[in-house]
Amino acid sequence: MSGRDLRLDFFRGLSLFFIFIDHIPENVLSYFTLHTIAFCDAAEVFIFISGYTAALVYGQSLQRNGALLAIAQIYRRVWQLYVAHIFLFVIFTAEVSYALVAIQNPMYAEELGVADFLNAPHIAVLHALLLDFQPPFLDILPLYIVLLGAFPVILLGLARQPLLPVLVSAALYALTLRFGWAPHSYPDDRVWFFNPLAWQFLFVIGASLGYLRARGHPPFQPPRWLAWPAIAIAGGIAVIAMSWTLHWIYDPFPPLFERLWYLTLDKTNLAPLRLFSIVVLVIATLGLVAPEAAFLGTRWSRPVILCGQNSLYIFCLGIVLSVLGHFVLAEVHAGVALQVAVNLVGITAMIAIAAVLQWFKTASRRPGPRSAQPAPSE
Amino acid sequence: MKRAFLVLILHGLAVAGYLAAARAAPEPGAANCRVPSEIIEDDPPLPLTAQRLKAKQPVRIVVMGGASTAGVATGDGAAKGYPHRLEEALQRRHPGIDITVLNKAKPGQTTAAMAERFALDVYPANPTLVIWETGTVDAVRGIDVDQFTATLEAGIAALREHHFDIMLVTMQYNPSTGSVINFEPYMEALTHAADFVDVYLFRRYEIMKYWSEQGVFDYANVPRNQRAQFATDVYRCLGDALAEAVDYGAR
Repeated sequence: MSGRDLRLDFFRGLSLFFIFIDHIPENVLSYFTLHTIAFCDAAEVFIFISGYTAALVYGQSLQRNGALLAIAQIYRRVWQLYVAHIFLFVIFTAEVSYALVAIQNPMYAEELGVADFLNAPHIAVLHALLLDFQPPFLDILPLYIVLLGAFPVILLGLARQPLLPVLVSAALYALTLRFGWAPHSYPDDRVWFFNPLAWQFLFVIGASLGYLRARGHPPFQPPRWLAWPAIAIAGGIAVIAMSWTLHWIYDPFPPLFERLWYLTLDKTNLAPLRLFSIVVLVIATLGLVAPEAAFLGTRWSRPVILCGQNSLYIFCLGIVLSVLGHFVLAEVHAGVALQVAVNLVGITAMIAIAAVLQWFKTASRRPGPRSAQPAPSE
Repeated sequence: MKRAFLVLILHGLAVAGYLAAARAAPEPGAANCRVPSEIIEDDPPLPLTAQRLKAKQPVRIVVMGGASTAGVATGDGAAKGYPHRLEEALQRRHPGIDITVLNKAKPGQTTAAMAERFALDVYPANPTLVIWETGTVDAVRGIDVDQFTATLEAGIAALREHHFDIMLVTMQYNPSTGSVINFEPYMEALTHAADFVDVYLFRRYEIMKYWSEQGVFDYANVPRNQRAQFATDVYRCLGDALAEAVDYGAR
C-alpha cells in the first residue's frame, strides 16, 4: 500500500473548518457548512474518519509490532487527547469566569447557571478529570477519548474476524436506541452530549473499512450499483435540507418533507436518519472522488489536507479560535463583513499552525548529523 | 427681519425637539426603544384575541416563563416585570376593554417543568392568550434538544386543545452568554418548531440584540446600584414591544 489516502486528510480537514465555523454562534458562514446540505454535520464526518484512521494506523502497527505495542500506542494517543481536553477545560473555565464578571446581573439569573460549577470547583475539576463534566462545545473530545480507549478491543476483534466488531456494535447501537441507555454526567445528572454507546457504531463502521485498508486491501471503492443510488440519495437529501434552510431565511419558500427535520434532532444518540445521511454521504463521496483525484494534489487543497493531517492540534485550536471569534463579534457590533473576516482569520491561523506542525514533524524526522538521537514521535 | 426669521427657526427647532423628546420617552426615564416592525411581526394570527378585542370583551393573558419573565431582577417583578408592562401597554392601546395579564413565571424551570404546571396555573385561568417564554434553563442544563423540542410541541398541542391563542418567546440576549452556553440548537429548535406548528414567535433575543446594536441598552457591565433600574427599563421596553406584537397578531 503506497502513500496515504489524501481523501481522508482532505475531508477531515474540511470537517475541522466546519466545526470551527459552526461553533461560532450566529455565524453567517454556518449556512455554508455540511448541515445545510445533509441531515448530519461535521461531527459525524470527524468521528467516521477518526475510526477509519485509527484502524488504519494501529491495524498496521498491530501487524508489524504485535498487540502489546499497538495497544501502548493507542493509549499514548488517548493520553494526548485527554491532556488536550483538560487544556480546553481550563480555557473554558477562564472564559466562564470572565463572562460571569461581564454578565453579573440578576437579569441573567438563569443563564448564570452555567457558572454554578464555580461554586464547587473542587467537585467540578474532579468531574472534568473523570470526563463526565462536559461544558458546552467541549463534548466531542470526551467521546473520542472513550471510543479510542475502547479501541484495543475493537482492533483485536477486527484482527480475529473483520465483521465481528461491526455486528456487535450495531447490536449495541440498536439496544441503546431501544432502551435509552446513556452514561450520565455532571451536574444535574444530564446525559453526555454525544452518547458514546450510540456514536461507537459510526466509529466502528469507519474502523472496519480502515482495517481492510490496513490489511493491504485497496481503498474501498463502492461498485456502481451502490455509488449511483447513493449519489442520487445524497443529492435528494441536499435538496431537502437546503429547502429547510431557505425556508427559515425566507418564510414563503416551501420546506420539503418538513417532518423529517424532527428525525434529525437527536444528535445525542446519533439518530438513525443522521447515521443514514453520513453513510450515504461517505459512499457518494467515495464514488465521486477517486483516491488519486486531481484536485487533491492542487495548491488549493493542500492547506485543507495539512489541517486534516494534524487533526488533534487543529481541532483544539479551532475550539479556542471559535471562542475568540465569538468574543470579537460580541464586542464589536459589525455586519457580515466582520463575521467573514473573523472566519477567514481563524481558518488562516489553523492552516498556518498546521503548516508549522507539519514542518516540525518532517524536519524532526529528517536524518541529519544528530540522527543518533531517537526521532521524537508525533 | 433676518433676525426674526432666525428666532422663528430656533423656536421651530425647539418645538420639534420637544415633540421628539416627548414621543421618544413615553414615561420618564425610559429609553427610546422602538423596534423595526419586521422584528416584531410574525405570520400566525391570534384569532381569539382578535375576536375579543373587536367585540370589546375581556381579554385575559397568562404568561408562563422563567426568571426573566418573573422579573426577579427588578426587585418587584409583579409591578416591573415585562408581563405587567404588557398589561399597561395593552390597556393604553385599548381603552375601555378589560385586559388582564397574569404572570405565572417561576425561575429556574425547564420546559417540561413548566408544561407540568399548565394544569395548575394556565387551564383554570381560562386565558384568551398564553405567552410562553422558555428554553433558557433547558440550554443551561443541556437537556436533549430533541427532548426539548418534543416537550415544547406537546405543551403547545395541550394548549391548543383548550383553544387558547399561543405565543412563544425566545431567550434573552447578552453578548457574553453565547460563548459559554450552547444556545443555538435550542434557539433553532424553538424557532423551527414555532414555524412548523404555526405559532406566533416573539423574537425577544433579536429585539434585545437590536437594542444592543443601536446603543439603546448595554447589557454588559451594568453598575451594581443601577441593575434593578436597568432591568426595569429593559422590561418596560419589552412589554411595549410585546403589546405591539399582540396587536399585530390580533389585527
